[in-house]
Amino acid sequence: MFYPKTLAIVGVSADGGSVGFGNGILLACRAMGYEGRIYPVNPKGGTFAGLTIYKRVEDIPVELDFAVIAVAAKAVPAALRACRAKGAAGAEVISSGFGELGTADGIALEREIRGITVETGIRVIGPNCFGIYCPKSGLTFMPGPDLSRESGPVAFLSQSGGMSIDFANTGKWMGLRFSKVISFGNGADLREAELLRYFGDDPETRVIAMYIEGIEDGDDFFRTIRDVAAEKPVIVYKGGLSAAGQRAVVSHTASMGGSRVIWPAVLRQVRAVQVESMMEMAEASLAFSLLPEKTFRGISVLGGGGALGVAACDAAEANGMVLPPLPTERKALIEGLLPRPGSSAANPIDVANPFVPPKVLREVLLRAAEDDRIELQVMISLLYHYKSIGQAMGKPVGEVTPYEELADAVYDAVEQTGKPVVLVLPNPRRGLDDFDVVEMQERARKAFLERGIPVFDEIGDALRAIGHVHKYYGEKNDRKR
Amino acid sequence: MTGNDKDSAMRIIDTVRGEGRNTLSEYEAKRVLESYGIPVTREMLVGEKSGVVEAAAKIGYPLVMKGCSPEIAHKTERGLIRVDIRNEAEAVRAFEEIVKGMDGGKGAVLVQEMIRGRRELVMGLTRDDQFGPCVMFGLGGIFTEILRDISFRRAPLEKKDALEMMAEIKGHGILDAVRGMEAADKDILADMLIRVGRIGVEIDSVQEIDLNPVILTGSRPVVVDALIILK
Repeated sequence: MFYPKTLAIVGVSADGGSVGFGNGILLACRAMGYEGRIYPVNPKGGTFAGLTIYKRVEDIPVELDFAVIAVAAKAVPAALRACRAKGAAGAEVISSGFGELGTADGIALEREIRGITVETGIRVIGPNCFGIYCPKSGLTFMPGPDLSRESGPVAFLSQSGGMSIDFANTGKWMGLRFSKVISFGNGADLREAELLRYFGDDPETRVIAMYIEGIEDGDDFFRTIRDVAAEKPVIVYKGGLSAAGQRAVVSHTASMGGSRVIWPAVLRQVRAVQVESMMEMAEASLAFSLLPEKTFRGISVLGGGGALGVAACDAAEANGMVLPPLPTERKALIEGLLPRPGSSAANPIDVANPFVPPKVLREVLLRAAEDDRIELQVMISLLYHYKSIGQAMGKPVGEVTPYEELADAVYDAVEQTGKPVVLVLPNPRRGLDDFDVVEMQERARKAFLERGIPVFDEIGDALRAIGHVHKYYGEKNDRKR
Repeated sequence: MTGNDKDSAMRIIDTVRGEGRNTLSEYEAKRVLESYGIPVTREMLVGEKSGVVEAAAKIGYPLVMKGCSPEIAHKTERGLIRVDIRNEAEAVRAFEEIVKGMDGGKGAVLVQEMIRGRRELVMGLTRDDQFGPCVMFGLGGIFTEILRDISFRRAPLEKKDALEMMAEIKGHGILDAVRGMEAADKDILADMLIRVGRIGVEIDSVQEIDLNPVILTGSRPVVVDALIILK
């Protein structure tokens, strides 16, 4: 399903241009450089984008591996049967007009699709979905012609198509690399539990993120996610939590239940990583992808800025970690490296100003890491301040900011100490007159990501994401004991 | 605690069903709990005034006496509870008052040992639309509704789930040795939670359970009041 060599797209129109799901998906897969062969289908025939449009699926001259179905809802069952007869093992049904309408016709059609899967053995994603994005094969969503082709450890599954494209786009700049992303829509056949099991077994997937609204079978979901989360981190963003007490209940227990309480309890019970927004889900996925699979109880924080100390300590503690104060001797050693006055190496380590040279920061990271209690280091870099340096020198900010050198220095410190460094790159300069700063910051992010160093926008985001990793592996280790 | 007898619990439930009811009386609910090995107050159900003195002597003073009828889910609000009854005269008077308060409705008076303890907990069971039977633990008595300091886990529970439920409430310190009180026996508490979950898993017709309060007498938890609702 993810690496089809032959792909039928049913519902491509010769004069449709880039309008319509079928045409859109065809163009998007082309733009992504999908290497397999595409066979468009439409009863009217013709050509599109240099390809012959077959009038019937039966006319396609090869065996099919996979099909994209983008025809009117009532024509979907016949299209599925035809694709199956041509050998397709699976199909994604992009079309809507099924159970989501709540109409008798829609529900009946969806039931018919389910019946076809049982009867013929074809596996279906959808209907009413965006389908599959697989960077390695180049299969993509219609609105995703320019998603990344770089593969990685993160799988994402989502009922919502909008959430799946948003997450894929977010991942592209944030540094997430995907094994597969699946939007399964109504989930007439394949849905959360079975897809979770698949990703649990998928050797290309190391981190699983999912967005769910409702589930079909609570018991199956519970057992599946519990088993999968015992092996790989499963990050869950649950949408649509409702308050308790909607039904008439007598007992206090029942009045205090309801999905807003029960869902989080169940997710804790199965050791899933719970997040409350798409950004938190992306940040947690990034931390799980790039950090070693272990706990990080003691951390050091290195940076500058007014409320740094308080913010870092509070955020660390809230996420189950601590900032051990450095002993006097080490503190003095580090302070000797930093500009005086203004610096302080108690942990958090205040570096006094944002222009401390990368090679000095590298030394500070090396020395701080010599404390056995420190298991991970967070460095806050206020690179946007280089704009004023640039202005003074009459040069663009991108030219005067030493982000490449800094990325090298940090990478070197990670290599030498074996202790991960997480970078925080805040940017309060985002207005129209600071696009140069925004661009420089994104280039800096890329430089760090290329060296395997995760980058977050705020210290709170970073520590929350690290905290998820810390907690997950803490509990996983407890289980093994 | 060894009891785990679904059959005797089912006999009680079938009787209740046979009478066209879906709420168990406190007495019936306690028998269901007892058949699952959950520690409850020692108690006797007394229908006639002539039986009060003997029952009181058997249970031993001081006593609690409660109006017991499936129609009464929340007894305190109805003024149908008398506590700290210390002699025969008080017991007989309490019986008369309670019966009068029950408006001549069906039911009897529960003569119950008085459990002393300042720490009140709650346990319960609800059926979630998506996950089925879920067990609750939290601070009991009047604090249940005010603080809502509670935790849930889906049944069946493993011991670690039960222990986590206890650790998860904000007021978990109440289970430790505080102010001269012994630490709660967490093994027994965990076992009780597991068994409440088992009732939910094994008996489909049980829709909701409230054990409130569960009082810690020394280190030992005892279910003092119980409500079971059937589907």
